[in-house]
Amino acid sequence: MQAARAARQMAEHLGFGRAQAYHVATAASELTANMAVHAGGGTLHLQPLTDNDGSIIGLEMRAEDQGPGIPDLDLAMTEGYSTARRLGCGLPGASRLMDEFSISSTFGQGTRIRAIKWCRHRPVDRS
Amino acid sequence: MPRIGIRDPTRMPMTVSLSQHLQTHRDEILAEWFAKWLPADNSGQPGWASPAQTRHIMQTLFDQILSALTTAPPDQLPDLDEQAPLCVHLRHLAAEQARNPEQATDPLRLLFSLRQLLLRHVTAWDRKSETLSMAEPMLRLDRYFDRIALFAFNSILSLRDRHISEQNLSLMELSTPVLRLWHQILLLPLVGIIDTGRARQIADHLLEAIARHEARVTVIDLTGVPIIDTSVAQHIMKTIDAARLLGSRVVLTGISPEGAQTLTKLGIRFGDVICRASLRAGIAEALMITGKRITAMEDPAHP
Repeated sequence: MQAARAARQMAEHLGFGRAQAYHVATAASELTANMAVHAGGGTLHLQPLTDNDGSIIGLEMRAEDQGPGIPDLDLAMTEGYSTARRLGCGLPGASRLMDEFSISSTFGQGTRIRAIKWCRHRPVDRS
Repeated sequence: MPRIGIRDPTRMPMTVSLSQHLQTHRDEILAEWFAKWLPADNSGQPGWASPAQTRHIMQTLFDQILSALTTAPPDQLPDLDEQAPLCVHLRHLAAEQARNPEQATDPLRLLFSLRQLLLRHVTAWDRKSETLSMAEPMLRLDRYFDRIALFAFNSILSLRDRHISEQNLSLMELSTPVLRLWHQILLLPLVGIIDTGRARQIADHLLEAIARHEARVTVIDLTGVPIIDTSVAQHIMKTIDAARLLGSRVVLTGISPEGAQTLTKLGIRFGDVICRASLRAGIAEALMITGKRITAMEDPAHP
């Protein structure tokens, strides 16, 4: 929840709209909750992404843990699937909330998730 | 000052014991310690004690450490008994400190500066007597200080822990009022972050209140919840389901536009729960369900 607050503050600071800041905060909260439940903790890095000329174009979020890892990524990203009897929409939901989402996991070694939310003024190549 | 502490006068007849050495130089060491500690502190003027108080604290600390060193057998470390005056003093110091969290390390810094000072004096003493190896008493002193510092640290930590758990409890008590809005209508305004512990407590309170008041409608207001993620949503859904089993319908209000958008993106459906944008609309809905409404008072002049 601390993560959600920090993410929201950062997003608002970077000039995201309210709804976008809310999305970022919720995604941060989902990812940290996942790490807390499944991996017993982990780290979440928040980082502003800047263009070549220094203007802010997005916010990058990296979640890393040393948990057991996810054996089946496709299954984990499936709506309604959860091993911890939760709603099972945390990961897929977070991926929908962010603009870019990549996940890699090594069984027994941990999981890394990288997600990006672009500012409203998106780079041209993404439109 | 009475000279005590020579345990084995036959073995080292010409030397004074370490504690005795320190005892004779007590005033000197204390003055040095004060000089080292106090000026730096005076500039910042710590809130927890005046210079005179600090001086007193330091003097007491010094005397107690010295007396513990004096009374203990030379081949053993002095006991750190829970009831020993030194420990009581340290705990007291920690309690003082707990009120000023920004200076939490002060007792430790105090102890470490004293250790440094004493060790330096030990070397001075050893040079004069030249009978014992220097390492032995220094190690002993060092280990003793480690134990004292550990004890002080533990007292500070346990005090903090107690504060935190007390605050947690009072937060819990503050944060979940179930209000009786009208006959058979309850209002549960949720404020702040909802974690598992709070969610359980909220559910307990609410269900108990529903049963007691035979509530037919419960308005749950989420205006004060900063983030609604899947776990919060899940907690709320479970509460709603349980309320239903007790015969109370739930009206959900106060989900912000951003929150609504986020919830749909997350793929959370609140199914057949009645939702209203504002608390006002939610209360109107609740009254309607119970067959009442709020109207303007009839003007007595025109019946």
